[in-house]
Amino acid sequence: MDPLLQVVSGVPIFRDCNRAELEALKLHLHERNFLAGEIVFDEGEDGEGMYVVIRGKLRANRKGILTKKSLGVIQAGESFGEMALLGAGPRMATVVAEEDTTVLAMFRPELVALAQARPRLGYKIAMGVALVLESRLRRFADGQSTEPSAT
Amino acid sequence: MKPGLSDERSLEHPIIWIAVIAGALGSILLLKAVAWLAFPLILAVVLYYLVQPLLQRLQLAGVTPGQALGIFLGAATILTLIFSLTILPSMLNSLADFQNQIPTYWDRLQGVLRDNLLALESRFSFAKKAGLANSLQEQLNLFLAGSGKEYIADVALFLLHWLPSLLLVPFLTFFFLRDGTAFHRLVLRAVPNAFFEKTLLLFDRMDNQMRAYFRGMFGLTMLDTVSLGLGLWFLGQGPGIFGFWDAMFLGLICAIFAWVPYIGSGLGGILAVATVAVKAPSSSGLMVAVVLLFLGVRLLDEFIYTPMTVGRALRMHPLITVMMIFSGGMLGGVYGLLLAMPLLGIFTVLGQMFAEIWFDPRLRARYQARGLLEKRLASKDLGI
Repeated sequence: MDPLLQVVSGVPIFRDCNRAELEALKLHLHERNFLAGEIVFDEGEDGEGMYVVIRGKLRANRKGILTKKSLGVIQAGESFGEMALLGAGPRMATVVAEEDTTVLAMFRPELVALAQARPRLGYKIAMGVALVLESRLRRFADGQSTEPSAT
Repeated sequence: MKPGLSDERSLEHPIIWIAVIAGALGSILLLKAVAWLAFPLILAVVLYYLVQPLLQRLQLAGVTPGQALGIFLGAATILTLIFSLTILPSMLNSLADFQNQIPTYWDRLQGVLRDNLLALESRFSFAKKAGLANSLQEQLNLFLAGSGKEYIADVALFLLHWLPSLLLVPFLTFFFLRDGTAFHRLVLRAVPNAFFEKTLLLFDRMDNQMRAYFRGMFGLTMLDTVSLGLGLWFLGQGPGIFGFWDAMFLGLICAIFAWVPYIGSGLGGILAVATVAVKAPSSSGLMVAVVLLFLGVRLLDEFIYTPMTVGRALRMHPLITVMMIFSGGMLGGVYGLLLAMPLLGIFTVLGQMFAEIWFDPRLRARYQARGLLEKRLASKDLGI
């Protein structure tokens, strides 16, 4: 399997997708390279898509009253910005590359079009997003994290 | 920033509006200069947007994109073969008959025009003084004796010139359908990280705008064709002017003329009245009925068909629309008349998005920060 698809298949949102579905998804993946210190997106800006980390490390920060608050580190194989798949609301955190990082960007309208063309895949992605957000909310409710940490 | 608010703000800049209009008119000039390539390219884009939903439906049924394209190509080839073997020969025969009838039609049209002008002269003294009927006859004789033949030669050369270029259309459409997504990704690779999401949004909006416009125009053309065709067929039944398919064909030509807003409908009406005049020169009541039919369909267009089809795809002020069409026509002839509005629509979206990106200080700052990071990285071991 394509190494990029191997990483994507490990991301919880896409874990249930079969090979053919991942191949269809591949057409809508945009590879982007960020330098250490570069901002991927800003808190408050309109979110248009989600990202999967292929290589490197990023940090999610949220504005506090006096200082910014770290929500945690995002490692290779993890995803962030999933909230944008649900609608073009404002980003809930700023994500900055901590080292040189490669990510795969997935744009919401492209994923929506793909889901319309392949409803089965659309259902799997929607369920995947719901499960990821559910687990984050659960961790927040259990006190394992101080913020819901969705971006 | 809320999307609606940013849209309004981006249109507040007069420079953006001037750039949008200049871009649309400049593109008309550019496209006219490379018309032999631009024309098939535009047709291929239109076909792409018309065929794409069919491919999506096939994919919805569980077929892969490659298979869907294969099925479509197979079906298109079979339909073309059937068309070439059955309908095309009879169309060519009709065309040959029409060609033989041209002198008769021309005489009849002249007769109708002359009779009407003479009637006008008998009622109004200024028309009589001007000698409208005689001067028209002189002009027509001059045209036939001189430049008429040249025009026919020009038209023949024009058609020969365009034929190879039109053969490009299916070729280009095939590659748009097959490699469109990959090409889209390739273009996006060149976009800086800071502007990436906004640019994706721009592409999406443009894609939606063009899809809505072309599909809307296709739907509008079909509705106009059916309305005009049925109307002409009904009106022409008494004097036996039109068969059903003749009326539909004339309706289709008039509907295509209507692609040019405001002016096109009028031209289509004139064509239909001229056809009736040629076929039944003595029935002036029928000509009036055809004019009323066109006015009726125009009203249907305005209040029902257009909102149903093209709808909000290109919501422009009528004054801007008319000015753009005339400017486009002046700069690019028929080409400019047809392209002025879709190009203005595309450049409006481009202008809005450019303003959203350019006037967003945070995005520009992020772009500059990336530049600084690159510079720092490049000069890391230089001690500067």
